[in-house]
Amino acid sequence: MLSPYGLDIIESCFTCKLRADRIFCDLPTAALQSFEAIKYASAYPKGAVLFVEGQAPRGIFVLCKGRVKLSICSTDGKTLILKIAEPGEVLGLSATVSGKPYELTAETIDPCQVNFVKREDFLRFLREHSEACFRVAEQLSDKYNTACHEIRSLGLSHSAAEKLAKLLLEWSSKNGEAAKQEPRVKMALTHEEIAQMIGTSRETVTRLFAELRKRQIVHAKGSTLLIRNKAALKALASS
Amino acid sequence: MESAKEQSCFACEMRPDRVFCDLPVEALQAFDAIKSTTVVPRGATLFAEGKQPRGIYVLCEGRAKLSVCGDSRKRLMLRVAGPGEVLGLSACMSGKPHEVTAEMVDTSQVAFVRRKDLLHFLRDHRVACLQVVHLLSQDLHQAYDRVRSIGLSRARRPHLLHAAGHASAHSN
Repeated sequence: MLSPYGLDIIESCFTCKLRADRIFCDLPTAALQSFEAIKYASAYPKGAVLFVEGQAPRGIFVLCKGRVKLSICSTDGKTLILKIAEPGEVLGLSATVSGKPYELTAETIDPCQVNFVKREDFLRFLREHSEACFRVAEQLSDKYNTACHEIRSLGLSHSAAEKLAKLLLEWSSKNGEAAKQEPRVKMALTHEEIAQMIGTSRETVTRLFAELRKRQIVHAKGSTLLIRNKAALKALASS
Repeated sequence: MESAKEQSCFACEMRPDRVFCDLPVEALQAFDAIKSTTVVPRGATLFAEGKQPRGIYVLCEGRAKLSVCGDSRKRLMLRVAGPGEVLGLSACMSGKPHEVTAEMVDTSQVAFVRRKDLLHFLRDHRVACLQVVHLLSQDLHQAYDRVRSIGLSRARRPHLLHAAGHASAHSN
């Protein structure tokens, strides 16, 4: 059967095998039934914009599959990527709750399945299901944590090299690579996008990667980066 | 920290103007029963970044400075919280260590609620849980504003320097 953008669409949250591992999705039966009734499952291609910073909130987007780039933009067009959202995350949450404009722009970087819930339906759902309210509070707390981490990284790091080293170490700690002596990092972002994550220029990122390779701290093989000298990278991150 | 005269939230004249405090009677009674009020001196640390959350702190009056710390012990001020604000909320809800340090700017009254009691209270009072979701959204909006001001103003700096260089070249 043909599926949109090659995605295997999960029609019902009840049949989703990943539900148990996801903070928001693992709701009690009654709440999940109500959620099923108000959500719209949709598929988006890579590069689709879910919402734009400054736009009035239409509702929330629960990311079921794929990844989404969350960024903020200055008036002169400079972009800063805050986070790459992973499946299970609820996007547009704080704007939908507060009624203030979306603070970020969300753009898909893979084909994605997203469950959309209209703002008024979502607010009613939260009033009726306290467990969902708890999950939302947890998600908001996680996002606050990420924002503080970003502030710390942007405001207190001395150099772009330090910020890049921290980012690589953060990525290398995921997907069961943390314990390995030479962890591998799947480079899903371009140098331009990495520059937007650490608040520097594309040229600086390219130069830093060249230096890291020259000093044999990292080794690039296609889109995979092998961290050959974790200790040196750690030293760079805390310099 | 000295214990303040236990003041009921019902007697607080500022309550209607404060997002978290303006709870329905039943919820406020329950909140009154689990909170303890103390006067915290200026300069005292309510909680420190990286420490496990013990509970929330409602600023009845006065202000508190919220900051983050880098590896080099350098501090970056996030903002100054004012009366009526609830501090330590996100760490309490997630159970993860505090993301920020909160230090009193003025000697003032603070209501403290233990994490365990807070979670019970929120499970029993849906309205309060919704207020918490609203407060967390506000905190997040403010944090994103700070990210914007730090991250994007830094990214612009080379342009400003470039523009300044350009202007001086023209004036010479």
